[in-house]
Amino acid sequence: MADLLFELGVEEIPALAVSGIRDQLRDLFLSRLDQDQIAHGDIECVASNRRLMVHIAKIPEKTASKEETVLGPAKRIALDDRGLPTVALKKFCEFQKVKLTDVVEIETPKGKYLGITRAGGGSDVAALLTAGIPVILAGLTFAKTMVWNESRLPFIRPIKNILLLFNNKPLDCEFAGVKSSNKVFGHLLLSDSYFEVNSFKDYIQGLSKNFIILKEEERRSKILAEILDIEEELECKVKLDDEMLNYYLYSNEYPVVFSGSFNAKYLSLPAEIITTFMTHEKKLLPVTDQSGKLTNHFVGVANIPDENKKVSRGNEKVIQAAFEDAQFFWDIDRKEDYFALKQLLKNVTFQKELGTYFEKVERLAALVDLLVNETQNGALRAKLQKAAFNCKNDLLTKMVREFPSLQGIMGGLYLQAAGEDKVVWKAIYGHYKPRGLTDEKLEDLGAGILSIADRMDNIAGFVSKGIKISSSKDPYGIRRDANAVIKIIIDLELDLDLAPLIRLAVLNFAKNDADLERNFKTIRELLAARLENYLKDYLKYRYDVVNAVMGQDTMVIRDKFLKAQAIVKLIDSGMIEPLTALHRRLKNICSDSERCKFSEGLLKEKEEKILSDVFKESKSRIDDLIMNKHYLQASSEILEMKPIIDRFFEKILVMDKNMPLRKNRIALLQHIDGLLTAVADFSLLVEIKPGGKT
Amino acid sequence: MSVQNVILKLQEFWAERGCYIASGYDSEVGAGTMAPDTFFRVLGKKPWQVAYWQPARRPDDGRYGQNPNRVQKHNQFQVILKPVPVDGQLLFLDSLIYLGVDIRIHDIKFDDDNWASPSLGAWGVGWQVMCDGLEITQFTYFQQAGGIELNPNSLEITYGVERLAMFLDGKSNLYELDWGNKVSYAHLKLEEERQFSIYNFELADIDMLRDLFVQYQKEAERLLDRNLFLPAYDYVLKCSHAFNILDARKAISVAERTALMGIMRNLAARIAQKYVMQTEGENHG
Repeated sequence: MADLLFELGVEEIPALAVSGIRDQLRDLFLSRLDQDQIAHGDIECVASNRRLMVHIAKIPEKTASKEETVLGPAKRIALDDRGLPTVALKKFCEFQKVKLTDVVEIETPKGKYLGITRAGGGSDVAALLTAGIPVILAGLTFAKTMVWNESRLPFIRPIKNILLLFNNKPLDCEFAGVKSSNKVFGHLLLSDSYFEVNSFKDYIQGLSKNFIILKEEERRSKILAEILDIEEELECKVKLDDEMLNYYLYSNEYPVVFSGSFNAKYLSLPAEIITTFMTHEKKLLPVTDQSGKLTNHFVGVANIPDENKKVSRGNEKVIQAAFEDAQFFWDIDRKEDYFALKQLLKNVTFQKELGTYFEKVERLAALVDLLVNETQNGALRAKLQKAAFNCKNDLLTKMVREFPSLQGIMGGLYLQAAGEDKVVWKAIYGHYKPRGLTDEKLEDLGAGILSIADRMDNIAGFVSKGIKISSSKDPYGIRRDANAVIKIIIDLELDLDLAPLIRLAVLNFAKNDADLERNFKTIRELLAARLENYLKDYLKYRYDVVNAVMGQDTMVIRDKFLKAQAIVKLIDSGMIEPLTALHRRLKNICSDSERCKFSEGLLKEKEEKILSDVFKESKSRIDDLIMNKHYLQASSEILEMKPIIDRFFEKILVMDKNMPLRKNRIALLQHIDGLLTAVADFSLLVEIKPGGKT
Repeated sequence: MSVQNVILKLQEFWAERGCYIASGYDSEVGAGTMAPDTFFRVLGKKPWQVAYWQPARRPDDGRYGQNPNRVQKHNQFQVILKPVPVDGQLLFLDSLIYLGVDIRIHDIKFDDDNWASPSLGAWGVGWQVMCDGLEITQFTYFQQAGGIELNPNSLEITYGVERLAMFLDGKSNLYELDWGNKVSYAHLKLEEERQFSIYNFELADIDMLRDLFVQYQKEAERLLDRNLFLPAYDYVLKCSHAFNILDARKAISVAERTALMGIMRNLAARIAQKYVMQTEGENHG
């Protein structure tokens, strides 16, 4: 058994692309091994921005041998009436380079065939790898490629080196004009030259001598541990998110955390600006005190030790200059009359075919109008419409032109600085939130309403334009917008029926009635699908819980969420089993019958009279509970009727020969079914064990 | 190290590595890339190694002389290596060492940053080179110029001269730099920055510049019809500078921007085609 060591040395791959390429490479290696029928042990695949390493254990030098069958023509075609070989059979033998006497009869599900059997497998693995590796590399795909040498082979960045060892011996292969060898380069700055590698052990030792921390996990823990040290030393919090951690992880082969400080006078700039300039522009992390207030410190990650504080001092100068720029933008933008910028939006295209931003904000004001009505927030109307009309003005400010990620936020900050009403500036400030489902809980109602309007306008615009989304394609972020709508509604507890909103949003773009209906339906389905995703993938609710609430044909998102939440609790408290049994039983009877009329006068037996009385007595209370969205209590109230219902089923024959009696009993059960269904379709719950979450 | 020493050292370094040392172009350009020594010479098959110091104008970057790090006219040191050398990155690091940078104690990073000039139909893939967080160089593998796929490709290394000098001199304000022999950067440039910022942001005559753009465009077209693609290219550069001032004046709407860029891109593409036709014609007799 041998092992395979492969390393592709490249010039710096963009940090955020590295892990995706590493995963592709692993998959391509595995499927190639499969295809070539090469047995293997564990595969390890790790990457930095300058190297992609694959190590595969326990590979045999020859593939396993086995008997191989090659099917020729069907017997009735291969032999003529007299049993002599036809042209078809002769051609087959010629092609396979075998004699007629080698041919045997082979039984298949499709009938008798002629063919040959021969020894297969036993191929030289080294040769397969030599041939396979260039194919694997050519199979990698990238968002953007380049060419750089005579090979004209497109790749993400120039390839510098290929290390290929099989059974600790160099193996020859060539890709993009680079020949493989048993040499590897070390750290860009700290290592002088290539070093020779003759085993995996050599490789690992050589890298560590040459200042390369190969494994992502080790780089990650080094970064996190050093940040923790700084947090302890400075008694502060370092604001590190996944994206920045990923950036550091894949832009340093020898990560070293450093810290520095800047003139505290820049802390008078809004915190959002400071943070954006630090992270987006300078790839440095903001530092707060224990209460979350920004301090004049920063943290960064270098690719070398910073014993002389050169890196730290250098970054201090750089951040100072960046803040000077920020101050310049902040000062120059505030000289403009923010509200006057709205007229200039006539020159700014929102999207091709969808008009200008000026037209967009006019639409947003109308959507906001409908939203304040639907959510009973009429008191906010004037302020939120003002916010809607002016929420895109900041696209024309210097700050947002320089940092598009600050759009919305800047509009809010400029208005706050100008002394505008809190409702107005806060709505604009927050109307790009949430950026994703995992964002923190939203709190500002005005921002939520404006955000829903903006998202719905985006969705309606793109859908009307004929943009389609698939699992892998969503270039305009339609799915993200729909997710945001769901999250806002749930976070802010909005009792909002989306149907009228969708209709109005679509109407703004519809060319005719058919258009309107089609797009309305598309968006309805899109939002239903996103809610389903939110419940299943984000809240981890079980699929049957979600099914039980998704059936109902309303677009009141929050109801469905609260119902699903109630069911999860019912499951956890063990109440779901009797409810599910009850609902199934009711549906069995009710679903076969048309709607029946109930008449008290037709009640005959004691048990049905009791049931009717109990139902009458509980109905209004349960209806109230449902109306007030107390689905858990409503369900337990219904459950309280269960003994009476069970008694009814025990004693009463629903399918009485007397038709009026039968229909009356069915009608009574339909009423109870109606109560349950108003909460959810409990009959769809398949697992009644505790744990409504997956 | 003074600014002039940075330039002199880079000239020495690249001259020793086979580059022809050119002068910067004598027309306003936004970047060294726009000088004919790059724009034309990266086209076609012929190898080309050039290095030159190019003042570059970016009206929108003006800060009235108030910002320690940003100016409307800065200096670039441009290197074109065609075809791409095998060890371009190491060559570049060698040039830093030659300038006196100890690369073992400074955090030098190649940070993903693709370069594109939509108005010239040119783009490349590469990095901004950061030194302790300061962007000192743009390092680009050219892929296309004038809308033409490049084969062979060129490596473009564009040093920011002031940034390098600041780094080498440990200065945090470029106006504190010594240009050379005790002539200070502030003495040379502060007033220029102040006046041009006022002009670019506040006083530039918008109507006149729009009018000039159209006239330059017409002149470029007229010259192209006569196959004089070199002077035609000069007028595209003039279009580009007029455009940049209009942009700093916030006089260009998004729709108009696309249209004006399209005009320049089409001219650049026609110019590039004429150039290739003529020079490749020579190659093939």
